[in-house]
Amino acid sequence: MFSMDSVRRHGWLCPFVAVTSLVPVCLRAQVDSKGTPADIVIRDATVMTVTHGTIPHGSIWIHNGKIAEVGTTVKAPASARVIDASGKYVTPGIIDPHSHSALGNDINEATSPVTPSMMMIDAFDNRDKALYQALAGGVTTELLLHGSANMIGGQAVVIKNKFGLSRDEMLFPNAPRSIKFASGENPKRVYGRRGEVPSTRMGNFEVMRQAFEDAKAYMASWDAYNAKVAKGEKDASPPKKDLKLEALADVLRGKLYVQIHCYRADEFLTEEAIAKEYGYKIRGFHHALEMYKVGDKIAPTGTGIATFADWWGFKDEAWDAIPWNAVMSMREGVRVALKSDSNDYVRRLNQEAGKMVHYGGATEEEALRMITLNAAWIIGVDDRVGSLDEGKDGDVVIWSMDPLSTYARAEKVLIDGDLFFDSSLPGFGTTHFSGVMHDAGGDGGEDEEGDGQ
Amino acid sequence: MRARILIAGLTISALIQGHIFAQAGPNGTSLAPAKTIAIVGGKLLTVSHGTIENGIVVMTDGKIAAVGPAASTKVPAGAEVFDAKGMTVYPGLFDAETHLGLTEVAADQNSNDLAETADEISPQMHVADAFHAETVRIPVERLNGITNAIVAPAPEDSVVGQDAAIQLYGRDRDEMLLQNDIALAMNFEGSVRRRANYNGPSKFPTTRMGLATQIRQAFLDSEAYEAERAAAAKPDHKGPPPKRDLKLEALLPYLHGEKPVVLAAYEGYEVEVAMNLAKEFHLKVILNHVTHAQDVLDEIASFHVPAIIGPIYDSPRPNERYDAVYSLPAELQKRGVKIALATFGEDMGGSRNLPYAAGYAVAYGLPYDEALKAITLNPAEMFGLGDQLGSLDVGKSANVVVANGDPLDVRTSVKQVFIAGRKVPMVSRQTQLRDEYMPLTDKNP
Repeated sequence: MFSMDSVRRHGWLCPFVAVTSLVPVCLRAQVDSKGTPADIVIRDATVMTVTHGTIPHGSIWIHNGKIAEVGTTVKAPASARVIDASGKYVTPGIIDPHSHSALGNDINEATSPVTPSMMMIDAFDNRDKALYQALAGGVTTELLLHGSANMIGGQAVVIKNKFGLSRDEMLFPNAPRSIKFASGENPKRVYGRRGEVPSTRMGNFEVMRQAFEDAKAYMASWDAYNAKVAKGEKDASPPKKDLKLEALADVLRGKLYVQIHCYRADEFLTEEAIAKEYGYKIRGFHHALEMYKVGDKIAPTGTGIATFADWWGFKDEAWDAIPWNAVMSMREGVRVALKSDSNDYVRRLNQEAGKMVHYGGATEEEALRMITLNAAWIIGVDDRVGSLDEGKDGDVVIWSMDPLSTYARAEKVLIDGDLFFDSSLPGFGTTHFSGVMHDAGGDGGEDEEGDGQ
Repeated sequence: MRARILIAGLTISALIQGHIFAQAGPNGTSLAPAKTIAIVGGKLLTVSHGTIENGIVVMTDGKIAAVGPAASTKVPAGAEVFDAKGMTVYPGLFDAETHLGLTEVAADQNSNDLAETADEISPQMHVADAFHAETVRIPVERLNGITNAIVAPAPEDSVVGQDAAIQLYGRDRDEMLLQNDIALAMNFEGSVRRRANYNGPSKFPTTRMGLATQIRQAFLDSEAYEAERAAAAKPDHKGPPPKRDLKLEALLPYLHGEKPVVLAAYEGYEVEVAMNLAKEFHLKVILNHVTHAQDVLDEIASFHVPAIIGPIYDSPRPNERYDAVYSLPAELQKRGVKIALATFGEDMGGSRNLPYAAGYAVAYGLPYDEALKAITLNPAEMFGLGDQLGSLDVGKSANVVVANGDPLDVRTSVKQVFIAGRKVPMVSRQTQLRDEYMPLTDKNP
């Protein structure tokens, strides 16, 4: 190996040239302490940017883990490591805004319909094979959610799928906090069969309203205390810190993105009414299989959806599901993402997006946006990932062909400019993983207590 | 026969009322008899004899009457012409395992007739008896070009009942059930053991030893029953004949090798144990699943039996590469195994996603033509229907699909499905909901 000093010097000496004029016999690339080159160029690919069209024979320059330039030519230093991608397709990393992977069988704390202080990070198992298999399908970011047994579930983890790195290194830095809510059949089934509230949709929503009333009272007690302190009252004693009520208060303070498992048209409207009543915003309806019925009413609220491409009929509240839902809702002005809710489908979200061309005639860019930029928006990280734009994270997938085709395979996956998967490598094709993978069990979508679906 | 008389009766009444064939039966089924229709100008994927770039398929009386290049194939006078210029034309797809007509809403127990589970050995259960021809699901599936399927009971028991072959269009069950009791569904896998669960306490068999010995005893009992019946049939037999036992009798066609057993096993060692049992009783086998049998692929080939593989989306084990199952169809086909793919009633999107499973097998090494065969001709042949279904050949049932592109690609839309020569209405409960709520303008931000 050569010293970092020589690398830096070498980097300084490198002239900036248009990469398209380069042959990929380039000089040794500049690398950081982990062996990641400071500059990477993916050249001569069909580049699907998601935000500004598709560039035939385009190149991407990634500098220090961020996208530095995207275009027909890029001005990367000659020291850049060049990946020749002629004949290949390049997209942003795929983003799954609804996953229960890597949470073992701890998806639902189904002992109370209101559990907002559950932190999914406490169950996050970063060696779950589901993450590896998703990576091999081009997935670079996932929102790991609590299940849908509870009307108000726990708080999510956002990960970058840097499979092989530590738990901490896999967390998406500074991602917004999300909380999972549910509605409909799952909560009422789970608690109803125990003879508890809720056993109906009336019960569901009443449990939720009461929780927010409790939170408001809690906030008021803190406001009173803080006012006393502000007035200099020495004998003011603080109320007891309550994790559950703190979390609910954070919902009301707008500090948590509210992600609601919700299927039926009437329930979207009820949920929006309750959100309005208590003054919080709903970030996304998840599943949202009947959004096509009321998309015109939801679009003005700004709430997005994370839906299935074509799942239907597995339960009563999925009976009116139609595969045109995503595109019809999009045409009504709703921001639409697709998601997996499954350790299986997460591996081929590109195929699920491809179905949108078939069901409703989405353009390829519209379809791709549903599993990249719009999915990033649901999570609240769309300023960082989800498209191939300058300044965004270097999360990039190189595909064997058009990723919306049935036949496309993810060949290379880079996250923050670092190669994490390369299908041409022997064994797993991973670059950072060693040791033993875990099998969290189940399919990542189901739990007998009220699954993620 | 009765159906034909009914059709004739309705035809006359329709003529009297001054409109022809306007009625639809249950399930969106047109009551009109098949006319002569010529599909003209499409690219024909015949499956049996290659691709014809600009071809014609003529359908008469529910059968394929002619297939060939446009230049040399005549369109009969008076035939309805279906213009398929720029389209791809292929035989209707055949899903080798489904639960179609046995369930409506999976979570609603009242709508499920998936398996009779009181007795592990239940060969006398006929799915044809539960097949709900008017299910909302069938019109949904067939819009993606699925025209035929095997309906199997859910894999709840080691010997769970007898499958039926269906076509996905017809006046009623009599027309849609092509063949009852076409195969015996057997499952040699851990999940059919009677271990304590939500449905009750443990009971025999709780182990694979128990499963194997119980299956063996059932076939021995059936053989003994047959011998007893034969003895009773002799003229010198004294006393009344033995009582008919439908359960033991149900196994006889399979003991005689007259019909196949669909033998499910996932792991390599399960495949070996199951095949030993099958050999012991000379069963005619279609292997099923084998998704974790990567260690015995050569051995599977040596059995010289066909295999339904999948789901291709089964998750590999933690110590396996991500494509260990995706590549399985290719690996077995390469070894000379006749393969079929299926949705197994497990795809959350339904049987309509069958072609995409085949496409995935292509992405991981299966030759395209073999993938198309695995969802058309191969399953038809495995179940003894190869002379009627699975390819564009004269004399076969006119189950033909016209699509705007490659049938295995998710982006392709099916434009028209013909089943038994009839133009299937391209309508389902889902298209009705779509049309009812279709946005008038595009407000996409």
